[in-house]
Amino acid sequence: MRPFFTLEGKLIRDARWSLIFSALTLFGLGWLFVHVASLNETKILKKLSEVAPGEKVRAFRWMKDIGLEEAPSSTAIMMAFWNHPFIVLVVAIWAIGRGAGAVGAEIERGSLDLILSRPISRWSYLTAQALVAIGGLLAMAGSLAAGAFIASWYNVLRTPPDWLELIRPAFNLAALGFAIYGYTLLFSSVDLVRWRPTMIGSVLTLGGFIARVIALIPIFKDAIWRPWAERFSIFSLYNPVDAVAGREVYSFDVSVLTALGAACVGLAFLFFTTRDLPANG
Amino acid sequence: MNPPLIIAENLSKFYGASPALRDLTLKVRQGEIFGLLGPNGSGKTTAIRLLLGFLRPTTGRASVAGFDSWRRSVDARRLVSYMPGELRISGSMTGFGVLKFLSGLRGGEGLDRAVAIAERVMRLDLGRKVRKYSTGMKQKLALAQVFADPAEILILDEPTSALDPSARADVLQLIREAREQGQTIIFSGHVLSEIEAVCDRVAILRRGRLVHVEDMGARRRLRMILARFAGDTPPPIPEELELSIRRPEGAAWLLEHRGALGPLLGWLATADVEDVAIGTEDLRALYDQYHGPGAAGDEDGDGADNQDEELSQ
Repeated sequence: MRPFFTLEGKLIRDARWSLIFSALTLFGLGWLFVHVASLNETKILKKLSEVAPGEKVRAFRWMKDIGLEEAPSSTAIMMAFWNHPFIVLVVAIWAIGRGAGAVGAEIERGSLDLILSRPISRWSYLTAQALVAIGGLLAMAGSLAAGAFIASWYNVLRTPPDWLELIRPAFNLAALGFAIYGYTLLFSSVDLVRWRPTMIGSVLTLGGFIARVIALIPIFKDAIWRPWAERFSIFSLYNPVDAVAGREVYSFDVSVLTALGAACVGLAFLFFTTRDLPANG
Repeated sequence: MNPPLIIAENLSKFYGASPALRDLTLKVRQGEIFGLLGPNGSGKTTAIRLLLGFLRPTTGRASVAGFDSWRRSVDARRLVSYMPGELRISGSMTGFGVLKFLSGLRGGEGLDRAVAIAERVMRLDLGRKVRKYSTGMKQKLALAQVFADPAEILILDEPTSALDPSARADVLQLIREAREQGQTIIFSGHVLSEIEAVCDRVAILRRGRLVHVEDMGARRRLRMILARFAGDTPPPIPEELELSIRRPEGAAWLLEHRGALGPLLGWLATADVEDVAIGTEDLRALYDQYHGPGAAGDEDGDGADNQDEELSQ
């Protein structure tokens, strides 16, 4: 097992700065959104209770569109902010970076030759890569939850969150990142360069995000393509509000994201362990 | 004679319709230094990558100590230490960090020896970051690891390409020492004098085909005789003499001799020789037969390529 742990240690060292930066960013965002929720809680509750069917968009009206009910808990209001693009962006960038860097980038650099010339199986190599990515995603999601939890000690909230309450939406975020990592890794596992899987992963992720945003815009509510836009966006499976509300859809969302990520990672293993590794350049 | 440790049987690799290696059949014996010669694109690197299990053979098979290079790649690589043409690894690591990492991937074996070779033979400062190393220093670092690995087989891909002359001499000495310890070495390179100096046998590849295997021991015994005889043709050559006529050279004749010198000198003393010069022939002359200006044949079947079956045994 020593060769595997040696490789794992190196991958962790290589990833540590980007992981620390991403985790700290998410910790800060978690804190920030608790602060914003604290400042606006009364206003948000008032708006949510005032909104009537057909009423025009107003501040915080969007919260109703992402599942916030009347008189939500403070945690549910916080979770509405967890849909912020910054949070998703940090996770997506990290997931795409790790996925694209796992194989294509190592071949491009020429460092894969050196590693795989030692008695390390391709299976072990990709397992080490996947473990770093999954561990990193869980650490980042945990950092967001920790930021929110610790911030709740210093900000006045009507109903401060329980630590366990934050685990479900954090896991939803990690599952979203895992799905993004999975399909990026899949493209990386058959490629020779970094830029192509990065580009494909980014286009798919950005496309899914845009589809989700458009699907949420009220004027497109009755558009015929709206259900399709939602269905084909993995971001429609990321619903932190549903996660804290204990809705059944949470299990479905997390299961589909995890299954998608696992299927893509599984295919990446299949392709990587059976492909040729030509010399770079 | 030691048993073969590396075996390639009808080994071919095609990328689509484009051949990178065709029908390579050879055996490398334990304790042998085996050279691979050929210009870029001749198939040397493809052959090495097939042995390491990086590529799946299109046809044929390769094995290392009985382990199929593709199906039991990890077992095969456990016996092999490979040095790519250039060390490409994270520049943020120190020289010591790289050695520790690479030996760690082999279970931690050989680290002390790698450090000793790097510091004493290669004269490297292992505390420096690798990004501050020159290309030659990186190559020395990789070589220190390879020569320290407790592997039965060393595969060196252009191991001296970035080294200064004194470091090259050190590397050739390390190669000889490795053979004395019973290690088998595959030495791929372009510097003919180095290959000639250390290799026991040399394979010449051209356009993905093995076109010649030379026994360097026999080649070192080879003497070229340029002689002008009193008559128009050389006198009859006794059968017991390992002497043959290669070609006429103006008024003289070029002969090659592979046996002991005594009988040759005796024959020359009795032959009606007007002038004679005896010398050796370096690897360049052989290499030029296949890759030099006016080299015979092309990939679609010619004199050189038709020798494959005979020469690859």
